[in-house]
Amino acid sequence: MKAIESIPDRKLLLFKSCMVGQEYPGVETATRYVFDRLGIDYCVNDEQSCCTGIGHYTDIFEGLTTAAIAARNFAVARKCGYPNITCLCSTCYAVNKEACELLNTNAEVRDKVNSIFKEKGFDDLVYEKGDMDSRTNFYHAVEILLSKVGQIKEAKKFDFSGVKAASHHACHYYKVKYLDVVGSPENPQLIDTIAEACGASPVRWYEDRTLTCGMGFSQLHLNKNTSLQVTKTKLDSLQRAGVELMLHMCPNCHIQYDRYQPVIEKEFGVKYDMVHMNIAQFVALSMGADPYKVCGFQTHSVPLEGFLEKTGIL
Amino acid sequence: MIPYVNEYDTPNCNTLAETAKKSIRTPESLGLDRCIQCGACTASCPAARFSDYSPRQIVKKVLENDHSVLESKMIWSCFYCYSCNVRCPRNNSPVTIVQVLRQMAINEGIGVEKLAYFLEIGEYLAENGASKVPETGIRNMEKDLGERWIGIKRNLGSTRSEMGLSSRDFRNTNGEVQAILESTGYFEREKWIKIKIEEKRIHGFVKTNYSDKDKKNGEFGFESDRKYTGQEAITV
Ligand code: SF4
Ligand code: SF4
Ligand code: SF4
Ligand code: SF4
Repeated sequence: MKAIESIPDRKLLLFKSCMVGQEYPGVETATRYVFDRLGIDYCVNDEQSCCTGIGHYTDIFEGLTTAAIAARNFAVARKCGYPNITCLCSTCYAVNKEACELLNTNAEVRDKVNSIFKEKGFDDLVYEKGDMDSRTNFYHAVEILLSKVGQIKEAKKFDFSGVKAASHHACHYYKVKYLDVVGSPENPQLIDTIAEACGASPVRWYEDRTLTCGMGFSQLHLNKNTSLQVTKTKLDSLQRAGVELMLHMCPNCHIQYDRYQPVIEKEFGVKYDMVHMNIAQFVALSMGADPYKVCGFQTHSVPLEGFLEKTGIL
Repeated sequence: MIPYVNEYDTPNCNTLAETAKKSIRTPESLGLDRCIQCGACTASCPAARFSDYSPRQIVKKVLENDHSVLESKMIWSCFYCYSCNVRCPRNNSPVTIVQVLRQMAINEGIGVEKLAYFLEIGEYLAENGASKVPETGIRNMEKDLGERWIGIKRNLGSTRSEMGLSSRDFRNTNGEVQAILESTGYFEREKWIKIKIEEKRIHGFVKTNYSDKDKKNGEFGFESDRKYTGQEAITV
């Protein structure tokens, strides 16, 4: 288990996520807005590439390529002096953390990766064992928020009391490297705790809470019917629980719930009452951020205007 | 057989179990031999709940060194959600074993047509340092998500600018990502996969639509249990 006290607020490389950038840029701007107000020392570096996550989990990249790309990103983080990789996307988090473990424990892979770097003249990318620590250099942005939950509570500008909020913790955050989760991987409560600090009423438990979002990497594209069935099961359960706000922590889950909720409504003839956002967007809102210029709600599929009016933000 | 041997994901070993254990896709502490066939993985598995799939059975086949598992449609149904990974009481990891099996299948040209959809991710990453949804995916999403999403995507550049971001998620990788993909053998492998897909297309093996309509509805109904009438009560 990761201890809250061990979560750093210095030297964080806010790891850019391609899916955030292309679908929900507000997740990045909201996280930065909140980090700025919490006094967190972080940087964003354009030299950092995608972690290969999507290709890795659609089976097109093999492990060696993923490890080499990760080693390069680790070098980017170290060179700019911000070695605490902090991800917006749960898959980036898991992929980087696993790659670090592999590079530290498997000399054959490490040597192979380094020989590629040397052959290409990229000597500054060479990875030595222990350059990064798989346990202490990798975080998800939601962990940083959790570690500042007291400050978040103090900075609250709106009254979200009575807002029934449910969380969807990303499986690649808590089911891949499950020993390194803040709290229990059987019942993670990070998002709920942060939402409560913003004044919302977290639902904490609902049926199928730990069910995956259904995206399943290739599944949404190759087995769309099954994929949407999984998503629907979760939305059904949330509807039964009377949830009005669903909070996530990963752009891929976000796409699956926010983009596909209207599709499911149409294809399955159902109707849902909840809206979606990333927990960082919710914290930013609570601190008084602009719903469009900072939170970027104009890129969401399920309109948030009703929710914003009801809570007095619009 | 693939010319570029995927030696780290699928090391050449005598048995499927050894390959799975040695592969860098699986954790070093993989408890494959410790599997007690308890079925906790299948009980937590969304693919098992909604389709004909069973991680427990896949693990069993691997332990029995039954290579027919590579041909089974089942291995392509996993969501990679890692629920089995967190729930297994024996530190086994069906999800990463399935990843190895898919790589082994690919090496033999099995199921490669399923990769067709995603192959452009590699070139896009090399060129741009980022990933994106493949073109076919975008067309499907346009169909499914309609005008609102198409509009969002059309305005993305100006929306990003209004939010104080660069109009495009720009990455400056100095050609390093491209070079890395060349050196790991990624492009060779990609080329080989493309040829295999083309061969299959010519021979008419590639279906354009993979989705299975007759899925389970997610209710926990146990077919075999229903047929089982139970033991007769002992009456004295
Ligand atoms: S996991 Fe997804 S969002 Fe994260 S870097 Fe990789 S492709 Fe991009
Ligand atoms: S819920 Fe879906 S998108 Fe989110 S982490 Fe899990 S698999 Fe990925
Ligand atoms: S949960 Fe683990 S021990 Fe049980 S059947 Fe699955 S792999 Fe085997
Ligand atoms: S990762 Fe695959 S096998 Fe494991 S629970 Fe998820 S869908 Fe099932």
